[in-house]
Formats: sequence, C-alpha cells, structure tokens
Amino acid sequence: MNTVCSLAKVVVLEMVRRKDFYVLFILTVLLTGTAGSVNLFNDRSIVRYLKEICLLLIWLSSLVMAITCTARQIPMEREQRTIFPLLAKPVTRGQFLLGKFLGCWLAVGMALAVFYFFFGLVSASREQQWPVLNYVQAAWLHWVMLGVVVAFTLLGSIVFAAPSSNGTICFVVSVGILLLGRHLNKVALGLPQPWQSLLYGSYFVIPHLELFDVRDLIIHNWELIPWGMVGLATLYAAAYAAVFLLAAIWVFRRRPLN
Amino acid sequence: MEATVAIENLRVEYRSRELGLATKVAVRGLSLAVGQGEVFGFLGPNGAGKTSTMNVLLGFVPPSAGSARIFGVDVREPIARQRIGYLPEQTYYYKFLTAEELLHFYAGIFQIPPAERGARVDQVLKLVELEHARKRQLKTYSKGMQQRAGLAQALINNPDLLILDEPTSGLDPIGRMKVREIIQRLKNEGKTVFFSSHELGEVETVCDRVAILHQGELKAEGRVADLVAQHAASLEQVFLKLVGYHPHP
Amino acid sequence: MSSHPLLVSALALAVALAAGGRLLVDQQAQRQETGSVLKLLLGESRRAFAMHVFLKADAYFHQGFYPSVFDSPAAAEAKTHLVEATEENHHHEHNHGHAHNQHRDWIEAFGCHFQPSEHRHLEGLGQAREILPWLRLAAELDPQRVETYTVTAYWLREQLNQVKEAEAFLREGLRANPDSYEILFELGRLYAENDRDVPRARIVLELAVEKWLRQEASKVSPDHVSYRQILGQLAALEERAGNLERALAHYFRVYQVSPNPATVQKRIEELRAKLAAPQKPPP
Ligand SMILES: Nc1ncnc2c1ncn2[C@@H]1O[C@H](COP(=O)(O)OP(=O)(O)OP(=O)(O)O)[C@@H](O)[C@H]1O
Ligand SMILES: [Mg+2]
Repeated sequence: MNTVCSLAKVVVLEMVRRKDFYVLFILTVLLTGTAGSVNLFNDRSIVRYLKEICLLLIWLSSLVMAITCTARQIPMEREQRTIFPLLAKPVTRGQFLLGKFLGCWLAVGMALAVFYFFFGLVSASREQQWPVLNYVQAAWLHWVMLGVVVAFTLLGSIVFAAPSSNGTICFVVSVGILLLGRHLNKVALGLPQPWQSLLYGSYFVIPHLELFDVRDLIIHNWELIPWGMVGLATLYAAAYAAVFLLAAIWVFRRRPLN
Repeated sequence: MEATVAIENLRVEYRSRELGLATKVAVRGLSLAVGQGEVFGFLGPNGAGKTSTMNVLLGFVPPSAGSARIFGVDVREPIARQRIGYLPEQTYYYKFLTAEELLHFYAGIFQIPPAERGARVDQVLKLVELEHARKRQLKTYSKGMQQRAGLAQALINNPDLLILDEPTSGLDPIGRMKVREIIQRLKNEGKTVFFSSHELGEVETVCDRVAILHQGELKAEGRVADLVAQHAASLEQVFLKLVGYHPHP
Repeated sequence: MSSHPLLVSALALAVALAAGGRLLVDQQAQRQETGSVLKLLLGESRRAFAMHVFLKADAYFHQGFYPSVFDSPAAAEAKTHLVEATEENHHHEHNHGHAHNQHRDWIEAFGCHFQPSEHRHLEGLGQAREILPWLRLAAELDPQRVETYTVTAYWLREQLNQVKEAEAFLREGLRANPDSYEILFELGRLYAENDRDVPRARIVLELAVEKWLRQEASKVSPDHVSYRQILGQLAALEERAGNLERALAHYFRVYQVSPNPATVQKRIEELRAKLAAPQKPPP
C-alpha cells in the first residue's frame, strides 16, 4: 500500500507541474464568464443555462484530463525508460498499475474539487443558495465515473500501442456511452435479429457512465438522490474499475518491457 | 554458501513483433557466479548482451531458458530486488521531480520508514555531491549530474548488491574517479558490485574478477591477474583477442 | 503525446466561444448580418442545431425531464409543450408517454434515480425565464425560424412581464423575416393585449392578414389556424374599441374558414344583436 501511495504521489506531482489543468480551468472560467456576460433580454437572474454551460465544460475538461493523463502514463514510462529503475525496485507490476490508477484518479479528483467549487460560485452568484449536498453528490458521482474511465484508459494504454490512438479511442468510447449508453436497449429493439441480441448484450456489458451524469438534477434544482442509490452507483463503478484494472494487470504481467 | 548472483545456462531471446523477422538471441548459455563482497566486471563489445543479462537479473525480461538467482531467490520474485541497487545504462528518471523528491519517492518504495528517509536522502546526496542542486528539477541537470542522481537512487536502500550498467559513461575524468572511489568504498563495506563497462582501465583497477562476453556467449572469466598471466598480454589485448579483433600489423 | 482528445475539445470550446462571443458582439454593435460567424462555422447544419437548441428550451421547461427521440419517436415530431402552452388550449392532459414505473430492465430502473424522472413544468414566479437563453440561441442559429420569435415573445410578455423585450425580439424577428404573418400576429397581439394601443395593433394585424392572403390563400392547404387567430384577434380588438361593424366583417371571414362555424355563427348573431340595440347612454 505504501508503495502504491508513493507511486500515486508522483503522478499527482506530475499533474500539478504540468500545464493541462491550468489551461483547462482558465478556459472554463473564461468561457463561463463570457456566457455569463451575455445580455439576455435584460434579465440578470437567468442562471440555469450558465450552470449547464459551466457543467458541460467541467465534464469535457475532466474527461480530457483523465484520459490524456492516464493514457500517457505507461507509454511515457516506457519511452523515457523510467520504468526500468522503478521496476528494479521491489515493486510488482500490479502495484505499479495500481499506483498509476490511484495517482490519475486522485489527480482528477483534486481538479474536480476546484472545478466544482468554481461551479458553486457561479451558481451562487445568481441563485443565492448553496445546495452543498447536491453538489457533493454530483461531484462524487462524477469522480467515481472518472475512476472507471481512468481504469479502462489504463487498460487501453497497455493493449494499444500508440498513446494518441488510445486517448482518442477512450475519449470517443466515453462520450459515446455518455450520450447513447442509456438508449442502446431501445435502439436494439428496432434492429433485425443477430444485431438485436448483440446490441442488447452489449447494453448489459458496457459500464453505464451516463448513470453518473446528474447534471440535469443540479441544473434544475431537483431533490437529493437517495444516498443508498449513490452508494450502489459507487459499488457499480468500483466493480467495473476493478474488472478493468485486473484485466490491465493480467495483460501487463505478460508483456515484456522492451 | 549461496553466491550473491547465480546465473545458469541463461538464454535471452527477443521475439520480434513483426512477422518474418527471426527472433534475436541476445544471450546464450551463460553461466556465472558472483560471490558476496566481490566487485565483478562484466565486459563485452557493443551488443554483446550485457544489458540483456542485467535485464534478466532485474526481472524486466523473462529468461527463455536457464535460471538466474539473486541471494538465492529467483529473479522473477519482486522480493529479490529488495536489496538491490540498480543504475540503468542511461539516465531514466522523472524529469519533473527534484533530486530530493526522486529519492524520497524511491525511499518510499523501499518502505524505508518516513522517520529515516530524510537522513538517508541527505546521506546519498552527500555521497554523490548533489547537495547544492537537491531542490532543482532533474530536467535542469547536466548529464553528469543526472548520472550521479542515478547513482544516488541506486544507493538509497543501502543495497547489498549493486548492478551498475556502465556507471561511468558520460562522466568527466573527475566524475569517473569519484565513481571508482564509490565502488571501492562499497567494496570495503562488504557490498557486492556487478557492473558492466567498456573502460578496461577502470575495470583493471577496481575489479576482483571479470567476465568477457561476445555475441551472447561467455568467452572468458576469472581474476584480472590470472587472465593477463594466462594470455601473456594486457587486459586490453586479451579483450580484443577474445572478441575476435586482430589489429592490422 | 495524445493531442487528439485535446483537439476535439478545443474545437468544441472554440465553437462555444464563437457562439458566445457572437452574442456579445451583437449586443454591442447593433446587428448587421445576423449570424454570419455561426453560418461560417456551422454551415447549413445550424438549422438542425437551432431545432436542437429549441428542444433544449422545451427540456428546460420540463426541468430537465425530457424523453429522447429513442424513447418515443413520435415525440420528436409532435409539438413541444413550450409551443402548446402558448396556444389557448394548453390545459389538456400531457402525453409524454413515458410512464416512469415501466422500466425495461434494471439499468433503466436504477438509472431513473440519477436523472429527472418526473413530469414537472417550470413553475413559480419568473422561473420560466430559464428557457430564454436557448430560445435566444435558437434565433441566433437560425434567424429564419419564425416559431422561435413567437414562442419567446409569448413567454416574455405573458409569464415574465417583459413586454418591451418581447416587442424588441419580435421586431428583430421581423427584420429577418419581413413577410412572416405569424410574427406580425404576435406583435399585433402584444400591442392589443399588453399595450392597449389599438391603432398600432390594427395596422400590424391588418398587415398580417394581407401577408397571409398573399402567401397562403392560393395554397392547396393553407394555414387556416393562423388566419383564424389573426382575424379573431382583429375582431376582438375592434369589438373592444367599439367598431362593431368592422368586428362583424372580420368574424364573417373567420366564419368562412372555421371548422365549427356554429360557434362563430353564434358570436356573429350576438354582435348583430348588440349592433341593433340602441347605444347605451354614458352614465
Ligand atoms: N528489445 C530488443 N529487441 C530486440 N533485440 C534486442 C533488444 N534489446 C537488445 N537487443 C539485441 O540484443 C543484443 C544484445 O544487446 P544488449 O543491449 O544486451 O547489448 P550490450 O552488451 O548491453 O551492448 P552495449 O555495450 O552497446 O550497451 C543486441 O544485438 C541487440 O540488438
Ligand atoms: Mg548495454
């Protein structure tokens, strides 16, 4: 565990010292600010569109960050050969991957905390309310979902050789699931037989990332989600992340290092 | 007593990913034993298989045949690496970390208790004379400084066995001398050092025994003095002869 | 380096930035060439975007609860509630046929906790204002989309009491669509009902009738609904203003195209009776 934490710390340090987060955060602030300064029928109290834009930017930024950060970890370790002095130490490959996972996940979690705080400011500036618990739920579910994304990106970075293609694939897959995952079953019903079963099967197999997207609930000030459901969703994500991580470890064990 | 490093009938192959390319045999039938407290020089021309052998010892590459053990433990077990210090051929470190952070990180991996880490880091930084630059990121280091940072990380866990892949490459004459001094000091502390080199002069001065490898095969092994006496020539001439190089008359 | 996803998102951000920036610029300098930047960026697909954004407004009206095209393909074609609400008969039962206790599988059942899953409308004082940004953007994307202007104006003046803004927006729509009788009707309604400016309302509504006749009358299936609405508005206006004969003339025209002429007939007879009766002396 100590080893895993040490590894994770280096990943977090790397994120802190790279410019990605700052660029994305500043972009989010600028774009939200721009959207907020638009004059809409002389009404300064319109807020939901602003929350929507801000959250969309946060989701995009977090996905970009999680995927690019994770996708480059192992290729970089190989390319710059930092993996050699590291694995020459008493570190198993499993610990190595776990450390990378934890590091990426914690790093995006820290970024999310900053992003959601900013979101809270945006919405409070016009709504005069702080539904902190709702935000905590949304941010938590978001973070948990990113755990799944980080895990499968990590798996992808071992399976696919080129990091940029892996990044693109993971991005397309995540966005695809977020947009369509919910509807695959209905789409399947309209298809001829072999495809129907295939699509319906994949509906049950894919990680339903879109479950964790509760933006509409906080944009429109809905009530809290039952905490039990949040807990179940967390378990659901943890199960998928674990499966992807185990697969990654299984593949990585069998890979020669050079 | 069990040898510190025991290699038996080792064969290392690189299977090429592209179809049609033959597998490359980097090491064939290598057997070696390095005793405790020895300084062992591992010699051979470029491409002889020195790094490949070390890769096996460190568990990066699985042996295709034969076995390798360190302290009596198969190298495939991660625990075999607890008492090893390794300096790679080139400097491969996280460039965004400072020397201090890098050493703290590796100390953490070796499970050195946090209370002792600071003292340990100070100690190795002093040994490699990087104290003045300890708070700078590694990307701002010169090659020689990076090499010394590498040596520092190899020593962080106070290892009993050091595996150094060309430790003096890229260093100026003073740097080389310092590395030789460090090796000498480690030897005096009773540590085992297994290192590869092209610098026959330095090998002659610090090594107890040497092995000469050529195209993956062991050509000679033994005390430097014995080899020199046996072939009635200098180490350099012995080396050239064994690797099949005949100087034009 | 994986620059691909970064590129994709950078592009998306650029589009958003351009759209936002455009809105800003428009407000500073009075608009000249509507949406030329967006046109350049999105090309003809901006029509589709505008439709999408308009539906977004409808989703906002439902506080985020909105079936997708996948849930009920018919829903996409049907009129949005946003539009229905602007018409007189919006008290009927909604049929967003998406009973949330009928889940096809456990994923749906589980998922309903994480999204709005109850039919709610924006209620409470001024909450309807939240739909406005999307309507604004829809107009920006497709200035030729007449419905955007009429619906927005309805919400502005009826629900939000922003008559001035409604008028300005309708005028903007009229600049982009000078021949739209729908916009003229909405503008006339605004003058008649909110401003109580009879002469102005009359001019605008009569212009609307004129435009309707020029565009629709010769069609195989003309838009009679709008025609009746315009004439009805005009008739009511004249009736309130005391010009009963004019009102009667308008009702006759309504009578000719009405699907249930009996009710119109009744109205006409009432008016006739009023006309025949002696003028009440002022108290
Ligand atoms: N990853 C690899 N894939 C294929 N062949 C390899 C790989 N690594 C090394 N080889 C081959 O194995 C042989 C031994 O290489 P190795 O790196 O062990 O040599 P070396 O003795 O360390 O040489 P040098 O003195 O140049 O460092 C060489 O012929 C090399 O081409
Ligand atoms: Mg080598």
